[in-house]
Amino acid sequence: MKKNGVNMIKISAKNVDVFYGKKQALFNINLEIEENQVTALIGPSGCGKSTFLRCLNRMNDVIDICNVQGEIVINDFNINDKGCDVVRLREKIGMVFQKPNPFPKTLYENISYGPTIHGMAQSKQEMDEIVETSLKKAALWEEVKDRLHEPGTGLSGGQQQRLCIARAISVQPEVILMDEPCSALDPIATAQIEELIDELKKEHTIIIVTHSMAQAARVSQNTGFFHLGELIEHGSTDKIFKNPENNKTQDYITGRFG
Amino acid sequence: MSEATHTVKSYEEELQSLNKNIIKMGVSCEEALGKAIIAITTRDSENAETVIKNDEKIDKFETLIEQQVVNLIALRQPMAIDLRETVTALKISSDLERIGDLAKNISKRTLLLNENLPKNLVEALVRVSTNVQKQLKSVLDAYLDRSSSMAVNVWENDEQIDELTNLCMQEVIKYLKEHESNLDDGTHLLFVTKNIERIGDHTTNIAEQIYYLVEGEYLEGDRPKGTEPIVTGEK
Ligand SMILES: Nc1ncnc2c1ncn2[C@@H]1O[C@H](COP(=O)(O)OP(=O)(O)OP(=O)(O)O)[C@@H](O)[C@H]1O
Ligand SMILES: [Mg+2]
Repeated sequence: MKKNGVNMIKISAKNVDVFYGKKQALFNINLEIEENQVTALIGPSGCGKSTFLRCLNRMNDVIDICNVQGEIVINDFNINDKGCDVVRLREKIGMVFQKPNPFPKTLYENISYGPTIHGMAQSKQEMDEIVETSLKKAALWEEVKDRLHEPGTGLSGGQQQRLCIARAISVQPEVILMDEPCSALDPIATAQIEELIDELKKEHTIIIVTHSMAQAARVSQNTGFFHLGELIEHGSTDKIFKNPENNKTQDYITGRFG
Repeated sequence: MSEATHTVKSYEEELQSLNKNIIKMGVSCEEALGKAIIAITTRDSENAETVIKNDEKIDKFETLIEQQVVNLIALRQPMAIDLRETVTALKISSDLERIGDLAKNISKRTLLLNENLPKNLVEALVRVSTNVQKQLKSVLDAYLDRSSSMAVNVWENDEQIDELTNLCMQEVIKYLKEHESNLDDGTHLLFVTKNIERIGDHTTNIAEQIYYLVEGEYLEGDRPKGTEPIVTGEK
């Protein structure tokens, strides 16, 4: 959504610190994510990108030693508040992981699983529609429409990843988090996912972690650079890749990191 | 270039080599312009012929730089400062190539001149060309030092060159009037003067590129402009 030509803020992280036991993994992160835009998170391995991504749908809750402090405000609501309904939150904030991880079930069941637990379909026909539109949006429908009742694990890696994206969008999330979604894919499958991301941003806000500078530059409108648990620089992708403010950002994206 | 070096050494070397070739090409252009001016003001055809012959060397630099830039873009996908280094190298090399051509053109016309030039005209030519040579030298120094302030100086001085060009044009017009029987020489001199001014313009283009290279932003505002050129009406 745009208001007066400015993108609305969908998510804002305020003073976020994350600890794994005594070890601090994120330091005072302040970051605003624009609605209906793609934000890329980049930075060297271990800098805290995945940790930050997991803050946005409270996936860090499942890690015992992990302790998140600060506010994550989504739609004017701090999801770290006690009153937050985590199941509903994860319905609104979908996630796609590095390795495609379809359930060991049929294609159809992979997609219908989420809508079923969220009670989104009243009839078999409605569920069929959800499955079809999700697969269409994930640009997978044409390839799999005749084998919906075969196991999802029988697809190629790129198809599996699109299946996982279809699964994520089946519950109509507002935000989609992607953690290195293309790292296991060939250039063609990668291009398909990138094209898909571009399409999906019309209806969703997307945050993607990637190790490919070229991919970040291609798919995102905004980029955040993390280093050693700190957010070093955040701004328009255009600016970050043409003329970053910070020397560390420049050294990283140009391949000068020591 | 940035202080830290690339993790991939060969990438670092490629960027440095690109950089060196721009400098070498620039020095060749400086030489060409210097010799072309000596040739026309002293009626020295040996220097003029050298300039004409050496232009091929400058053209080869342009081709080499273009290949290096294409390779860098295709194989390294340069970002940020590296991207600006790569793109500006391409643009600077094409301005330098034009400077080489213009120096060659001055030399060709030098060989066609029939008579010795009057002292006033020689002086006017020397005044403007000395200025342009200084500008070219400064712009190459600005590139070498990655100095945006030096680039801005060059950019601002272009105004002075336009004025000196106009004065020189006036001398040429006077010459034309006084030597109606020798229209050939007069015409050559008009072009020579115009060529020197255009070398100044290409130098200013390079200054703009250096500013972008260093600052990541374009030099804002209109180019400083002297009085309108009186003869050609060109801007
Ligand atoms: N479950 C965990 N238990 C303890 N420490 C962890 C855990 N997960 C991450 N960390 C630590 O937190 C820091 C940030 O890790 P994180 O996985 O967020 O990095 P990342 O930027 O995603 O790296 P990569 O690019 O390699 O995926 C690292 O030092 C890591 O060792
Ligand atoms: Mg990670």
